[in-house]
Amino acid sequence: MIDFLIQPLREDFFWRALIAILLSSVTAGCLGAYIVLRRMAFITNALTHSILPGVAAAILLGFSLYWGALGAALITATGIAWLSARKEISEDSAIGIMLSFMFAMGVGLISLSHAWRDFTSLLFGSILAVDINDLWMIGLTSTIILLSLRLLHKELELASFDEEYAQLIGAKPAVLRMVLLMLIALAAVASVRLVGALLTTALFIIPSATGILLGKNLVQVMGWGVGVAILGGVSGLYLSFYFSQLPSGAAIVICYMIPYLAVRVLVRQSYPR
Amino acid sequence: MAKDDATQRTSTGRRPTKVMRKNFPFSFLENPLSALIPAVPYAKEEKVDCHGVAILAENLACSAQPGFPLAFQNVNFSIPCGCRAALIGPNGSGKSTLLRTLAGLNPLAEGTVKLLGVEPRLGRSRIAYLAQRPQLTPFFPLQLKRCVQMGTYAHHGWFEECHHGEANIEKALQLLDLKSLADRPIHQLSGGQLQRALLARATVQGAEILLLDEPFSALDSRSREIVESFLFHSQNTFTVLMATHDPAELKRFDCVLELNHGTLKTLHACRGHPHHHD
Repeated sequence: MIDFLIQPLREDFFWRALIAILLSSVTAGCLGAYIVLRRMAFITNALTHSILPGVAAAILLGFSLYWGALGAALITATGIAWLSARKEISEDSAIGIMLSFMFAMGVGLISLSHAWRDFTSLLFGSILAVDINDLWMIGLTSTIILLSLRLLHKELELASFDEEYAQLIGAKPAVLRMVLLMLIALAAVASVRLVGALLTTALFIIPSATGILLGKNLVQVMGWGVGVAILGGVSGLYLSFYFSQLPSGAAIVICYMIPYLAVRVLVRQSYPR
Repeated sequence: MAKDDATQRTSTGRRPTKVMRKNFPFSFLENPLSALIPAVPYAKEEKVDCHGVAILAENLACSAQPGFPLAFQNVNFSIPCGCRAALIGPNGSGKSTLLRTLAGLNPLAEGTVKLLGVEPRLGRSRIAYLAQRPQLTPFFPLQLKRCVQMGTYAHHGWFEECHHGEANIEKALQLLDLKSLADRPIHQLSGGQLQRALLARATVQGAEILLLDEPFSALDSRSREIVESFLFHSQNTFTVLMATHDPAELKRFDCVLELNHGTLKTLHACRGHPHHHD
């Protein structure tokens, strides 16, 4: 049993993946609480899926994958804001339009490059792919995200709970929403290597959905979210180490579902009503 | 109400309160951060001499939303500081629109309004507004005390941790009889308890004008008694403008304004109270 746990640790790539998933779990757990509470799951889905054309373009044209991903996420966010500025189009339709358009662009770019095989790891993640540059990137984005969440904690909490009151005291909720979208884009870009463009949404949503069933206040929700993210992430890495056919993203998402289902079944009500 | 606390804060510097810290993750980051990044106020609140007039409206016209037909026009009234004013009128007469306009949430179409000498705008800690049906995020994990604490945010600023106002929070919880519910999650409160919690938040904000949109609509008789004794307590120096439907209650108010058919009539004016802002 001990050997089962220690065996992967002898490999350098596993260590890199482990550090990456720990950092991503902390960011995803904290950020995810806002995503789930503010019902932003769909827009997060759009942002993470839109990474695909960015990454495909980056590979085709030979610039850094992260710049491509970040650019695509920014285009999606502004596109959604621009499309939903017309009152006839509701925001979720705008999200649906941008999501499918960006994804179609991604598929188009991939077929242009005639290299479907390289893109499986992009779509579903691969622990082998994490190199030292990725670690630096994840470290940097995690620092930015956690610092912003820490500094804006009371404003974000207030704007998520009571938008009108936030507006009344002058804590601009619209600006805060944009900041949150930028942070989500950053976090999604950083974790694309591990979990893949298709499954990054799960990283934000499943652990935090578990946290909401358990926590009494926002900080507790974040804490439980981080805990579940770490537990599921690390076990997912082990799973994908031993079953090398299984992409790490898929393994991690499967491992997230176990604590979520357990909490959903066992914890009827998180506190007495 | 927040004033004594605010002065204490400037004279003694930042008072750390243990209760707040417990609420916080990454507390090891706290001190270096607050030293490095100065708090930026949400909005600058200038103090203008209001000459004892809390709210002054001249030729005011508004619509419920930009582009909608005018809800009322040519509205003139003035409410002295410390006055408890009622705003009556049938459904759809524009009471909520008027209150939202005064709070700065709704642009005015014509005319001028001064609240404590300043035009209505967002980011004013001296004005508190309580909607008839507050749009709160359902099932948000938040305990009542933290919700009341949000009232102090108006006196903090961007990037700043909540570090003062604890005494005011305790006082407001006591006044509105919420002490025993302090740790209760917001979504488990009844309508009346929630209304009291939001009123406590407005109190903690230390607002000098309370704009209340039918605050009694969700209250049972006990909650109503608590809120009334708070609002009409002679020691509280704030000005209240309250939309209400209850004709039996009108004699408690110093001033009654009636909105009907797009115009406003002052049914009963008040001569003013000795007022003290500072």
